[in-house]
Amino acid sequence: MSNKSAEPLIEINNFRMDFGKTTVIKDLSFTINRGETFGLLGSNGSGKTTTIRALLGIFPATGGTLTMNGKPYSVDSGVKLGYLPEERGLYKKEKVLDVMIYFGKLKGYSAQQAAKESIAYLERVGLTNKSDTRLDKLSGGQQQKVQLGVAIMANPELLILDEPTKGFDPVNRRLLMDIIEEHQQKGATVIFVTHQMEEVERLCDRVILLKDGAAQVYGTIDEIKEQAGGMTIEIVSKEAVPRNPKLYTVVRSEGNSTFLDPLTEPLEIQKSLADNGFSYTKFEMKRPSLDDIFVSIYGAKTEKAGK
Amino acid sequence: MHNLGTVISFEIVRTLKKKTFWIAALSFPVIIGLVGAIIFFANKSTDEQTKELANESFSIGITDNSGLLNKSVFNQPKIEKISSQAEGEDAVKSGKLQAYIIYPQSVAKEPVKIFASDVGIFKNSRYQAAAEQILKQSVSLNVDPDVVAVFSESVNYKSTTYQSDGSVDRGYLKLILPGIFLLLFYFMIATFGNQILTSITEEKENRVIEMILTTIQPTTLLIGKLVSLFSLALIQMVVVLLPIVLGYFLLHNQLSLPGIDLSQLPIDPLRISLAAIIFFVCFFMFTSLIMTLGATMPTAKEAGGFFGGILALVFGPLYAASLFVSAPQSVLVQVLSYFPLTSPIPLLIRNAVGNLSVLEAAISITLLLITTMFIVMVGVRVFRYGALEYSRKLSFKEIFKPS
Repeated sequence: MSNKSAEPLIEINNFRMDFGKTTVIKDLSFTINRGETFGLLGSNGSGKTTTIRALLGIFPATGGTLTMNGKPYSVDSGVKLGYLPEERGLYKKEKVLDVMIYFGKLKGYSAQQAAKESIAYLERVGLTNKSDTRLDKLSGGQQQKVQLGVAIMANPELLILDEPTKGFDPVNRRLLMDIIEEHQQKGATVIFVTHQMEEVERLCDRVILLKDGAAQVYGTIDEIKEQAGGMTIEIVSKEAVPRNPKLYTVVRSEGNSTFLDPLTEPLEIQKSLADNGFSYTKFEMKRPSLDDIFVSIYGAKTEKAGK
Repeated sequence: MHNLGTVISFEIVRTLKKKTFWIAALSFPVIIGLVGAIIFFANKSTDEQTKELANESFSIGITDNSGLLNKSVFNQPKIEKISSQAEGEDAVKSGKLQAYIIYPQSVAKEPVKIFASDVGIFKNSRYQAAAEQILKQSVSLNVDPDVVAVFSESVNYKSTTYQSDGSVDRGYLKLILPGIFLLLFYFMIATFGNQILTSITEEKENRVIEMILTTIQPTTLLIGKLVSLFSLALIQMVVVLLPIVLGYFLLHNQLSLPGIDLSQLPIDPLRISLAAIIFFVCFFMFTSLIMTLGATMPTAKEAGGFFGGILALVFGPLYAASLFVSAPQSVLVQVLSYFPLTSPIPLLIRNAVGNLSVLEAAISITLLLITTMFIVMVGVRVFRYGALEYSRKLSFKEIFKPS
């Protein structure tokens, strides 16, 4: 986790965003502290990217305030920003190193500094031999790496990564996570926009989960898990778990696994199952994962029981 | 604006590195050079052929019923007098003579008849040339040389006209320097109009716009692009003109091109200054218009149709060019001169020919500046808020709605 402080870097208050007659964000408020890694979560269309674009002034907000260091963001506001947008793209007809140096210079580096940092990055991600290659001659994954390199150029104090793992294989995903962790260690504030919960659990200090343009949960991972209802019981069986709404409710099923939300002590549930002649190979108490919480919020409950 | 230099250098350097830029820039002088070479060799070959034909002598029989031929004609070798047409025709048919010419009693009323042996479709013309030359030489011997000059249209005329202040009017020469700006405007727009469009839509088409807009001001990017494109246009113009100018000075004798004495070019500071101001303001207005179009459309391809409309507005007035010279106060010319989108050509032509008053120029330039500022403001706004419209064009309502 990162070197967070309680000093807010970003404050979003009563943010509302309409596109024509469609309201994408209803009334959103949250803060992101300096140095923390913050997860902005939600399914496709939940308003994550819109929130980021409004924060960066790309979209004008319909209502509310979005500030960075107490004022709306602009390129001249003094915040060193690294932004990897969801919509990927670079100057495709230009050479890799030329584009990286250009962005380095735009971010305040001299040409020499930009070239030095670009070459070091390309070496790290295994693209040294591609520095003189046109971007449109690279694979999708290689282009992603170059774009990430552009985003983290010049040690940004705020790094916004919108779906950063999109298009990365597991090896490069790990590389990406290492790079993000390095920036956390350097004290950067990181906003991680995603619906990949594994990475969020590993990296984020706090998260907000959006659904239909409104916050569903907001806080640290532990707080959210606590809010979500504490423990879950996983039962592995070839049979369907019998219904017993007085003792438990079935949250969801995956293959032979059924997840229960207990309303009483586990021993009592085990006794009830045995009394009903139900046999199982596994009975385990678990804390819900972020993935579980995400699925439960988005209503993807599939009850195997009682079929 | 602190990144303006970075944007300009990036745009210029990457374009100069492209082969397509140099191919486009060099193809024009190369084509001019090729055409020049073809003309040169064609002229050379025609001259040589003419000399060969002139050196070729052939036997001619002549019956002169007109009485115009000088007696000395018949003293020339291979020319003989024939008394009747039948005799002449027989002589040609039998190969005794290669040509037989009958000059009628009145060359004004009847044709000169020529009978000759066939020497090929191109060489057969030598017979008529010979008949004509014999007649002209004979007649000119009997007429005053001045009369010959009048009818052969070889009299030279030199006129001097005076302007109201008593100074000598330099005629069409005075159009050259102000007129260069008209050519420059045409060249810049024809060469760079599409490049501006492609350049403005590039960030959107490549999906790099979000990273750019969070790194630099859109105004910086757009001004940087316009300045770099203008610089590239000047570079391209030098690349085009330098070989032409060098070629002229090195080869104008061989190519039979007219000589140019630059010291004879009249310099009218007012007209040249007005032309320069009109050129720069019009060019800036036009590029701003293309920029706004590019910002409104998702791709350069989709903007192409509208671009054609802009070109029609700007260059359409060329069809009324003669009116700008002959009827500058007509309603049509006045409307075209004051309406900013059609004004570049009328203003530049009228300024060159000298019928654009300073007051008219000042009003037109002011209107152009106001229009340009408005277009730039709309363009920057559209670029910023239409930046993420990757697949559709913005409507008028969206462009002008308050933010």
